[in-house]
Amino acid sequence: MKAWLTFSPNIVSKPIISNLVKNYDITFNILRADITPKGGKMLIEISGTQQKQAIDFMGKEGIHLNPINKVVKKDEEKCIDCGACISLCPVEAIKPAEDWTIEVDDLKCIGCSFCTNSCPTRAIRVME
Amino acid sequence: MWDIMKTIREINQRIKDGDAVVVTAAEMTAIVRENGAKQAAEEIDVVTTGTFGAMCSSGAFLNFGHSDPPIKMSRTYLNGVEAYSGLAAVDAYLGATQPNRNPDIGLEYGGSHVIEDLIRGNEIELIAEAYGTDCYPLTEIKTQITLESINEAVMVNPRNCYQNYSSATNSTDETLYTYMGTLLPNMGNVSYSSAGELSPLLNDPYFQTIGTGSRIFLCGAQGYIIGEGTQFATEVERKNGVPVSTAGTLMLRGNMKEMHSDYVRGATMPKYGSTLYVGAGIPIPILNEELAQRTAISDEEITCRIVDYGVPRRSKPIVREANYHELKSGVIELNGVEVPTSPLSSQKKALEIALKLKEWIDKGEFLLTVPVEKLPSKGRTVKPLEIQKPRILVKDLKGEALILAHPTDAISEVARKMVQNSINHLPVVDEGNKLLGIVTSWDVANAVAHGKNKLTDVMTKKVIIAREEEPVDVIARRIDKNKISGLPVIDSDNRVKGMVTAEDISRLIGGD
Ligand code: SF4
Ligand code: SF4
Repeated sequence: MKAWLTFSPNIVSKPIISNLVKNYDITFNILRADITPKGGKMLIEISGTQQKQAIDFMGKEGIHLNPINKVVKKDEEKCIDCGACISLCPVEAIKPAEDWTIEVDDLKCIGCSFCTNSCPTRAIRVME
Repeated sequence: MWDIMKTIREINQRIKDGDAVVVTAAEMTAIVRENGAKQAAEEIDVVTTGTFGAMCSSGAFLNFGHSDPPIKMSRTYLNGVEAYSGLAAVDAYLGATQPNRNPDIGLEYGGSHVIEDLIRGNEIELIAEAYGTDCYPLTEIKTQITLESINEAVMVNPRNCYQNYSSATNSTDETLYTYMGTLLPNMGNVSYSSAGELSPLLNDPYFQTIGTGSRIFLCGAQGYIIGEGTQFATEVERKNGVPVSTAGTLMLRGNMKEMHSDYVRGATMPKYGSTLYVGAGIPIPILNEELAQRTAISDEEITCRIVDYGVPRRSKPIVREANYHELKSGVIELNGVEVPTSPLSSQKKALEIALKLKEWIDKGEFLLTVPVEKLPSKGRTVKPLEIQKPRILVKDLKGEALILAHPTDAISEVARKMVQNSINHLPVVDEGNKLLGIVTSWDVANAVAHGKNKLTDVMTKKVIIAREEEPVDVIARRIDKNKISGLPVIDSDNRVKGMVTAEDISRLIGGD
């Protein structure tokens, strides 16, 4: 599962992530992190059998979790299937289909925004 | 010379009777492979082609109609984008790459976006300025127009549909933003722009059927070729009959009031500029066996050069040649490494256009024309523009005494050298004068503040350099882009020859 975590500044210094991994047998992949003195936002990929318990634990610790299915959103009306984005994606999440429709694989996407910065029609955006 | 098997007049009769056999260029490849060119030429009447790519050399003539009292517009702005108005009172030419006059919008909404908005039927703000005359008293107006409300909106594109175009990669260690899209550092990707076997001018490479007056598909309307495009060339290297790099081009015309936004789009190449994605499709009449053979060309048979955009010069080094089958596979090998590729022009829409044109002909809505004049098929080359002011190269700059630091120098010694010579940068070199790094007065201050005394701990090892043979203008851009104040000059053996600073360059450029 992919999710955005938002947290306040007072917990930036707490060892929450390591406790999570230790206590709930989950694997935890940080895809993006924007941490400032005012708190932070992290895009994570989390998997394991005790996901639910892990999420409850985070809630108690003051981390707000927003599950997401899509990291980037492609506006199909704006997209002209030019494919300029394909080779910029570091994780090969963008591929042409048989008929050259350009498709983004949400499972692979890590929200790096390389594609969004280079799309000639601004059709693709990282979801907040 | 090949025997003429049928004429355009005969083909048109068959189109009217609903009997014409029309296939796309991709289908033709398979048909000829299976049945041979002779049989294909007997059976097939028309092959349709298509392309949907970024074509910067595009624009539109607009006639706004006369206001009351009238105005002789000398400057016009459409949604903030200036159109050239040095024409009659209310005529203007809007170029696709014109940026917005509002610097906050700039490249994000330019001429191409206005063209798309017009075609979509959206309202556009028109601001016009004038100097006022006896017959045209108004000096400014501000109003709203739509495609419907103005007299004419005619797309006239001076250079579209490049016959072939080199693919781009980037050998430098920084990302480049180009008209070929974003090019990742260290040859991290390759961007190609042709539709390959579907591309119009690759299917009639010697312009045997295409010429002035050929009716074509243009952005969803029926448009015309009005002549060869600018930068047109015929004397180029060919393989399998088709050029391996840029050659033929087309000048196109179409009525914007009949166009559809599915086949034309305003776009912005990031940090480069706005450009228009133009959808064009050309029907090739199969008059003889040779044309059947030519239109059967496949992606494998079309060669394309991959060139290095890391060298910002007119002729860029060729990294390798590839064919479109390889490029379209998604990865290509460059110097032993697999590199991902991007098409840049829409392969999907190119096919859609070829199919749409086929549908028009099948339905009898589109008839072929006999060109009034063929495009030139020989004797044309592209001329370079020679700059009269001799280019100043880095090595022509008058260097000051070369002051260098060595890795073993004490920080205090380095600081003394800087102060004595009133300089801010010092290249750090080995015994052979080869560059190891650079140290700035800021680094020295930093070292003192943190009690460091080894030069190698504070110097910057990743140095942006200037080569002796590079033009000074290129260095000016590099200094600007990297927000640095100076950089060491290196010869071909990586030996430091001097320093060039922002001041040296501004003195030079400001001096003329
Ligand atoms: S770069 Fe933009 S327009 Fe082109 S395929 Fe990707 S999302 Fe679509
Ligand atoms: S955001 Fe990054 S990872 Fe996701 S599709 Fe775009 S380039 Fe790929």
